[in-house]
Amino acid sequence: MSANKPGVTVLLIGRPNSGKSSLFNALTGGDAKVGNFPGVTVDVLESALMLPGGVEARLVDLPGVYALAGSTDAHTDEGQAIAFLERAATSGQRVVIAQVVDATQLALGLRLTRQIAARRLPTLIILTQRDALHARGFTLSPEAVEAGVGFAAVGVSAGQPGVRDVITTALAALIARGDQATAGVDFDERAVAAAAVTEAVAPGPRARTQRALTDRVDRFLLHPVLGPAAFIAIMTALFAAVFLIADPASTAIDLAIGKLGDLVTRVLGEGLVASLLKDGVLGGAGTVLAFLPQIVTLTVALELIDASGYLARGAFLIDRALQAVGLGGRSFIPLLTAHACAVPAIAATRIIRDPRQRLRTMLVLPLMTCSARIPTYSLLIGTFFAGRSAMFRGGTFVLLYFAGIALGGLASLVIGRASPKRNARSLPLVLEMPPYRRPRARVMARVAWRGTTRFVREVGTGILIASVVLWALLTVPAPGRHAAAAADAPARVVAMHDSVAAWVGREIEPVTRPMGFDWRINVGLIGSFGARELMVSTLGIIFGIEDAAEDNDSLKQRIREAKASDGSAAYSGLTAAALMAFFVIACQCTSTVAALKRETRGWKWPLFVLGYTYGLAYLAAVLVYQGGRALGWG
Amino acid sequence: MTLDRIADHTLCRVSAIRLAAAPLEWLRAVGIFEGERIEILRRAAFGGPLHLRTGSGGEFALDRSLAASIEIQPEA
Repeated sequence: MSANKPGVTVLLIGRPNSGKSSLFNALTGGDAKVGNFPGVTVDVLESALMLPGGVEARLVDLPGVYALAGSTDAHTDEGQAIAFLERAATSGQRVVIAQVVDATQLALGLRLTRQIAARRLPTLIILTQRDALHARGFTLSPEAVEAGVGFAAVGVSAGQPGVRDVITTALAALIARGDQATAGVDFDERAVAAAAVTEAVAPGPRARTQRALTDRVDRFLLHPVLGPAAFIAIMTALFAAVFLIADPASTAIDLAIGKLGDLVTRVLGEGLVASLLKDGVLGGAGTVLAFLPQIVTLTVALELIDASGYLARGAFLIDRALQAVGLGGRSFIPLLTAHACAVPAIAATRIIRDPRQRLRTMLVLPLMTCSARIPTYSLLIGTFFAGRSAMFRGGTFVLLYFAGIALGGLASLVIGRASPKRNARSLPLVLEMPPYRRPRARVMARVAWRGTTRFVREVGTGILIASVVLWALLTVPAPGRHAAAAADAPARVVAMHDSVAAWVGREIEPVTRPMGFDWRINVGLIGSFGARELMVSTLGIIFGIEDAAEDNDSLKQRIREAKASDGSAAYSGLTAAALMAFFVIACQCTSTVAALKRETRGWKWPLFVLGYTYGLAYLAAVLVYQGGRALGWG
Repeated sequence: MTLDRIADHTLCRVSAIRLAAAPLEWLRAVGIFEGERIEILRRAAFGGPLHLRTGSGGEFALDRSLAASIEIQPEA
């Protein structure tokens, strides 16, 4: 991102979790992620901002910083913010600083102000949380801050009407004056804070309740014994909810897609166009779309943890355990984020100040169960454990999540032991613990909507295109190849068995047979290297075509009833277990590989991740399948 | 006395921090600096971090090894 554009640039600077992103959204009408955790903004966000008087400015939201001086790793979020400020300040363009200060921690914020003042740039101090201070029985005087520091200051509250006007007017006035910074660097921040925040009335009941609530909740959630137990319970409930709450909705959508397929057959008959729509589009991309409720449930649940302030508590509770495997409390945030998607989680590792700890976190992130694995897990559990209780199926689902977490810890331990600097001490944990906040329903609704549109967009573009390509490869015959489809099989089934994709799938059967996989799963495995969801869409297409002459069974039933070339059952619960073991470990995601390359600035570590995860995935799947057979479970 | 050795809910004041220059500067910037009042609220199990509140209004999780580098004076 360039810092060298002409015009006025307004840099939003502040301590982590000071409310910068909320202000950025209020000023731009944007949708930057807002959380209740230090380090939410790890990228530089920017937007045009029209100021009174027709001045067009560029508003830049920088990652939170504690200090502008001192040595900071350039690859961390703080390092990126400081580097951006340096580039902007020396680019010759007009730069104005808008420092966002949480007024409930005014003295801490003013420590950063002193360093900003040393840069001699025009600065506006925006004091947030005015309402929170007032609720505690204090009044805030921006004038006292102006008098004490020398910078213009305004006070605002979260969700205050007209906050945009207050800030843009103050910024326009600052720019119009065209003055340089007038602040001295020798003010006493505690004296200024004491003058600006004065006790006006006795704290209101709301304030007492809020403070007491945080203390009371922390007494339980951070209790040495109950806290870790509650942490495990919360994580278990989170993962189980994804399966148990959303499963009925997914089944309903699946049924609706099946009905649509029937409609296509009734209207268009059995031709190639009908097959493309029914098998390629509905069977492929549509099958993936049925998992929308699970993806949205997960997104909202993770957002609740973030917005409530529990994320930092989780880091506090799990820091010691993560240290034991060479990670740390700050690793917890990207590790949890990775349960939605590894790509933003890799960017989120920028909050880890220790470079070695950051690298180790990145290398194990792909083992966390991202949402792209959910369709495959759900389909396999629903198919092969349909007769078991919901508790068993939910438990299996949760077990897969914890298997990813345990393997991540193990991998970090092994990587650390293999590292030549294994005895070097990591930077110890220092982490702000924000107060608990009630997640806002409107924000949650927006997060759910954003998750829905993103998933639908992904399915409607990449997954849809890949599904159509896979359908084509399962339809176009491989020259000179004839497979042994059942003698009485319909022509389209015979054609699929002779297709290019089937031929490729059969060619690699010798490699995958020890895992119990046949050509159908192999085609899915190849497709799922691009995106894991393609495993489900491939099976949807293949079994859609195979079911051409049948009576529109559900995909799960078709998979259960699938036959091998010798007429025996193609798959068993053991095949499902081996496939799940493979999916838990393999880094089947080109976006993750690209993100790793971007963050580690080279191919070495992405290739390492691909190598170790695929190697381990193969070994684990073989072990599960062959071990299970040896025990007579097949 | 160092911060890791003080009992929970005892008010104290930071008198010195024994760290290298870079982590010292960062710790000061975060909000733990000489002269600051600190109260330990609780400590995580198995030697995990401390949860503390500072006079400036911040609450932090702080690694115990780091707390052992912070000299404090208990307040009356």
